[in-house]
Amino acid sequence: MRLSLGVVLTVALSGLSFAQPTLTPAQRQLNVDSFELVWKTVRDKHWDPKMNGVDWQAVHDELLPKVEKAASTDEARELMSDMLGRLKQTHFGIVPAEAYKELDQKDDEGKSSPSEGDPGLDVRLVDGHTLVTFVTPDSPAAAKGVKAGWEILRVDGKELAPGMAKVHAAFGSALMAELIETRSVEERMRGPIDKTVDVEFLDGKDRKVKLKLGRTGPRGTETVVGSLPPLHFWLDAHKIQPDIGYVTFNMFFEPEAVASSVQKIMSQCGDCKGFIIDLRGNPGGLGGMAMGLAGWFTSQSGLRLGTMYLRSTSLKFAVFPRAEPFRGPLAILVDGCSASTSEIFAGGMQDLKRARVFGTHTAGAALPSMFTKLPNGDGFQYAVANYVSEGGKPLEGVGVTPDQEVKLTRHQLLEGQDPALDAAVSWIHGQKD
Amino acid sequence: MNRYRFAKNIAIGAAVVLSLTLARAADDLPKADTILDKFIEVTGGKAAYEKHHTEVAKGSFSMAAMGIKGDVVTYRAEPNKSLLEIDFGSIGKMRDGSDGTVYWTSFAMTGPHVKEGPEKAQAAISARFNQELNWREMFKEVKTVGTDKVDGKDCYQVQLTPNEGPPMTQCYDKDSNLLVKMSMTAQGPTGEQQSDSFFTDYRKEGDILMPHKIKQSAPGQEVVITFDSVAFNTEIPADKFALPDEIKALVKK
Repeated sequence: MRLSLGVVLTVALSGLSFAQPTLTPAQRQLNVDSFELVWKTVRDKHWDPKMNGVDWQAVHDELLPKVEKAASTDEARELMSDMLGRLKQTHFGIVPAEAYKELDQKDDEGKSSPSEGDPGLDVRLVDGHTLVTFVTPDSPAAAKGVKAGWEILRVDGKELAPGMAKVHAAFGSALMAELIETRSVEERMRGPIDKTVDVEFLDGKDRKVKLKLGRTGPRGTETVVGSLPPLHFWLDAHKIQPDIGYVTFNMFFEPEAVASSVQKIMSQCGDCKGFIIDLRGNPGGLGGMAMGLAGWFTSQSGLRLGTMYLRSTSLKFAVFPRAEPFRGPLAILVDGCSASTSEIFAGGMQDLKRARVFGTHTAGAALPSMFTKLPNGDGFQYAVANYVSEGGKPLEGVGVTPDQEVKLTRHQLLEGQDPALDAAVSWIHGQKD
Repeated sequence: MNRYRFAKNIAIGAAVVLSLTLARAADDLPKADTILDKFIEVTGGKAAYEKHHTEVAKGSFSMAAMGIKGDVVTYRAEPNKSLLEIDFGSIGKMRDGSDGTVYWTSFAMTGPHVKEGPEKAQAAISARFNQELNWREMFKEVKTVGTDKVDGKDCYQVQLTPNEGPPMTQCYDKDSNLLVKMSMTAQGPTGEQQSDSFFTDYRKEGDILMPHKIKQSAPGQEVVITFDSVAFNTEIPADKFALPDEIKALVKK
């Protein structure tokens, strides 16, 4: 979830501005120290010793004097961001201290606040409109009758469109825009469980509906992975039709739960005509899980999904076939919120011609990245590896292009349709036995 | 406890490339077989090793950079049965073993895997019980290639070339003749993974002097394994080394 954390941080920061008094010498030095730490970290840990063709020393020598003279931390931060921007790669960024604190929400014991929740809505941006794509059953939103296809107009009285326009202006050209914008909306609806959030919708009949929605804890069960804050994991595996198996999960964590669920549905799916892996909205997680998941769907040894390149080595994402893999048609569903491990899996299986990918273009955010706190209190995100899919293309900034593009429409959502899923089912049924 | 064993099987990712320092001409260095035999002596002697037929070691595992910790247990029995279990908590339990014939890994994250080729050859070396005593059978060539410094102390670098696969380099402290470092390239489907392992905290377990802390350096991460207890000649249930069902199914394919 480092990716989603990073996205959340970035979004939460957009639009924030803090007037600062003149820096003290000590504060100025902290900015210089931060600049040096950022520069050295990239120099030492970037996977490409040639820094993507950028003369890194020259950048340092050009910008350091400006940082030393910077009149504010904002100005110093802009210079550091400028330095990172010259790499022209994602997953490199500076997050202002105020926002880093907000996004790094941990109590003294390092755990996220247990009282945070949301109304139970999944959203996507469709043609500039923020649409509800899924309402969690039994959630506060479901209790108030919110339906898929409704448009969200305002959250707590604040109109969404202008904010989304700002975010879109900042990130619109990047593939990650959809992911960033979606997370931004979801974050606005998140908050204390004991408080409500006012949401104004445009319902299925184009009527404005104002609802006071309660919040509930995140869907799924809490899981803790290393030093990441507690996450909530859920998984759904079942037959969506008598002859089609279906698995979806919200992130690539809890590998034993994923493996046992896939194994269970496989055992029920001996006569299945096809199988669907739904990775829409899945931001990734443990990269190695892409290898494990792929092994359920091929009997061929020696396959690879792609290769991750670090500074001094590379790691091939090998596929270890299971004893009795599913050999029939495999469809993978993705969208602009599918990132990282989701892209590694979908892109690799597509390259191996083992799966057909349906949906919309993925986020193009495949690089593993780390966060660290800078001496001046800002957060610093940096990528430590590059990833190239088996077909030879880097996923970062490129993403996975579906074999069959299927866009959402408000009309289809209101009709209860899931066009990407429907297309996958139709394709499976069209395959020869 | 087998010194090769942990360094190979716990390798995750690749390590920093070792920079060899050939401080002296090879002719001036002690012979490799002398160093390897002396290691047996200083850690307890051949007779002490030969008294052991099984071994169970328990400890902990940590990757500080990622905040990942876990429990480690290893089971070993003559002549080449082994089982390594690491419990990574929510990431799952990794098992790596040998029934003496089949060498395998099972990890929910990446899937079950039967080792073949060079990877199997390396696993066979790792699984060998009391390999310290049997290095002549496992390596077609050993030679002292230079010196290095580990924690400020000089050590002799011994290059061991197995019957199959690339050589590994072990460094033995000049004064104590204890193994302090091992550099190797692990072979497998994920590619070649280089690693440096450092052995410290030598303490006696029964009649054998053993390292209780192993630090392995790999790009972007460092793994530390600490052993709290080692028991010899305890009865290990026969099924402990049996192939898991998912591995059996792969072998049958």
